Amino acid sequence: MPAVKQAPTRQAITLKGSTNLVTEFFKYAANTILFQRGVYPADDFHMVKKYGQTVLVTQDLALENYLDKILTQVNKWLLTGSITQLVLAIISKDSRLTLERWVFDVNIMDQDQPSGPPKPAPIKPDSEIQAEIRNILKQIVSTVTFLPVIDEPTVFNILAYTSESADVPADEWVDTDPLAIEASKSQQVKLRSFSTDVHRIEAMVAYRYEG
Amino acid sequence: MAYNPKTPCNSARQRARSLTRTPLTASGISGVNGYSLHTSPSKNKADLTNPFVSTGKPGSSSRTASPAKRGTSGTAEVTERLRRQASNGLIRKGGVESRIDVVTRDYVPPPKTETRRSKSQPAVNWRPQRDTRDRFITTRETAVDEVAASLDMMNLNTEPSSPGHTARLAAAAGVPLNKRILAYHEPPPPSSSDSLLSQQRELVRPLYARPGALPTSTSSTTSKARKIPTQPERVLDAPGIVDDFYLNVLAWSSQNTLAVALETTTYVWRADTGEVVELGEAPEGSYVSSLDFSADGQFLGVGLGTGEVELWDVETRTKLRTMAGHSLQVACLSWNQHVLSSGCGDGSIWHHDVRVARHKVGELLGHEGEICGLKWREDGELLASGGNDNVVNVWDGRIGDVNVASGSRSTPRWTKRNHTAAVKAVAWCPWQPSLLATGGGTNDAAVHIWNTTTGARLHSLVTPSQITSIHWAPHRKEFVTTHGFPTNALMVHSYPTMERIAEIRDAHDSRVLWSAVGPAGDVLVTGAGDENLKFWRLWEVPKVKKSKEPKDSIKSSTQAGILAIR
Repeated sequence: MPAVKQAPTRQAITLKGSTNLVTEFFKYAANTILFQRGVYPADDFHMVKKYGQTVLVTQDLALENYLDKILTQVNKWLLTGSITQLVLAIISKDSRLTLERWVFDVNIMDQDQPSGPPKPAPIKPDSEIQAEIRNILKQIVSTVTFLPVIDEPTVFNILAYTSESADVPADEWVDTDPLAIEASKSQQVKLRSFSTDVHRIEAMVAYRYEG
Repeated sequence: MAYNPKTPCNSARQRARSLTRTPLTASGISGVNGYSLHTSPSKNKADLTNPFVSTGKPGSSSRTASPAKRGTSGTAEVTERLRRQASNGLIRKGGVESRIDVVTRDYVPPPKTETRRSKSQPAVNWRPQRDTRDRFITTRETAVDEVAASLDMMNLNTEPSSPGHTARLAAAAGVPLNKRILAYHEPPPPSSSDSLLSQQRELVRPLYARPGALPTSTSSTTSKARKIPTQPERVLDAPGIVDDFYLNVLAWSSQNTLAVALETTTYVWRADTGEVVELGEAPEGSYVSSLDFSADGQFLGVGLGTGEVELWDVETRTKLRTMAGHSLQVACLSWNQHVLSSGCGDGSIWHHDVRVARHKVGELLGHEGEICGLKWREDGELLASGGNDNVVNVWDGRIGDVNVASGSRSTPRWTKRNHTAAVKAVAWCPWQPSLLATGGGTNDAAVHIWNTTTGARLHSLVTPSQITSIHWAPHRKEFVTTHGFPTNALMVHSYPTMERIAEIRDAHDSRVLWSAVGPAGDVLVTGAGDENLKFWRLWEVPKVKKSKEPKDSIKSSTQAGILAIR
């Protein structure tokens, strides 16, 4: 019943709407990771109500602008469907070793169900999406319990995995190496995923662990 | 990985960089790494530059590296090589030989980065990748290296140096091959790019980074023998009192009157009767910055924000004289008989003889910062001063009197620079005249006890927060300190054990700034920015000295919780 009720107010989520939702999620996820992993000092962050919980978001203008610039481009790529993965790598400032890779796989949903009438596709209520996002963010917070303690200064980098044909602003984005962690020293933990009607985001964290 | 095709045309720089990666190539010994190398031409070059090759073991020199690594293909050459190595003892892992072997390979351009390091590769005695500096050009900027490295990395997918290589690489990185990996061209902002935030962080650091700062609470005081009331005996309202660390606007006389300055106006509260008298106002445009009673309690010295020092008769409530001369705020005063010493914002201390017209009889110049604490010893022989320059000075009191004519003097008897913050809390011990206690401000928060005869530091005590004042207990081997943020506490410590006897957490709503001990030696009054004066009965007057009037009179005076002074 509620689904029917919702239909008039919110039609099947549009690509644009879904894109914005995913972009926004990236913003809060990145902020959460930067805060939880201590890449930036804790007092740079302030609490914001989002997804029905408090999320810590940076107050550092430079960082805010930096993330904004990246996410604006990510938003464009999402719209054209040319981004497949977004990676936030945490790198040791001194040794330049990659310590953690937070990987968000971006899958486009509607190609999976080409057959059949599109109408009966269940419209996911907003609240459910929010709950899924909330769960991912909570999981990011809880990873602190098992991730190795980082006691050195770190920096981060955001990598976008795009298709060959993606439109790339020439002087702003450059090809780079994947900042991978050697397979022999890497542990991976899959986190929850969330999906809108258009996108499905799967989260994963890989971290350096030399047992 | 883009390093692999190291050809003879290697520039010196490339070789140099590859050297830094060399430790990882040690895995060649085990012959399991999946690398195809194109090292053959460069081998010659390496041999030429390799000191070990000419001196050492021809069979196991750097030449071994390439076949061993190529050996993933499992050719006969490799097995033969390995056999030879084994016979030479070189295959031993972690042994001296294998280490030597590694060194000899130093000059072979390494084929790979650490991502390729095999699991079976034993961690040899040294750790890989320790020193990332360039061996040849140590001063090279790292940024250049990084750019070069990433340039090298960039074309990794386009150049399939070996069939399995790219696939393995892709698998390790989790990248589909026809994808691009992009990063934003700027690095993220450094973490402390906001100068204001980082400055603030610097400022509050001492509040957080202090051992045992907050875990204990008021209830967990140490001594079981002593019970010290954690509630004030009396609270007086002091509206408009200036919340300034550098002022000293509270004084308690031997006549049991309490003087307090509320911005421009000085009030006297008689503890015997509870009566409040307005003594007088500071001149227009100024404010009262310090107060001190003369030893007999008849006269009150008043220091002003504009640099004048006034002398008031408490009984008649009249101003007797104004002694001008200081150029900045007079933040502390101390009496020694007829000499009133004043500490000024410019770091000078003047002695004013209140009896003579030319009042300035001495000047002590030994501080570079504002004088925050100034105390004469009871016998007038020594004067202790603490400054905003973190220095404690002890001056000989006699010369100040003798040297009327010559005026200024700049050599204190002792200078102590142990404190790391402004020294406002200064107190002479009443029962052991050589003892001086000083306490430092926020960055320091330590109490030092000095023997002023020898100049030795006898004891030190680190407290949880800024020390704003310190007093010795007149009848006990104890002293009390008052504190600012975050504990806003009163703490009673024993001497000489320096143990904490009691702590009254949050004695005031804001930092406790001033305190004075009553003439009977049992009650401490504290003033704070929360506009309250609180009276704490910390000690008892010994039975022998019974029936000192203040005790009785305080009881008999009004019992109301809060009295407004004005």
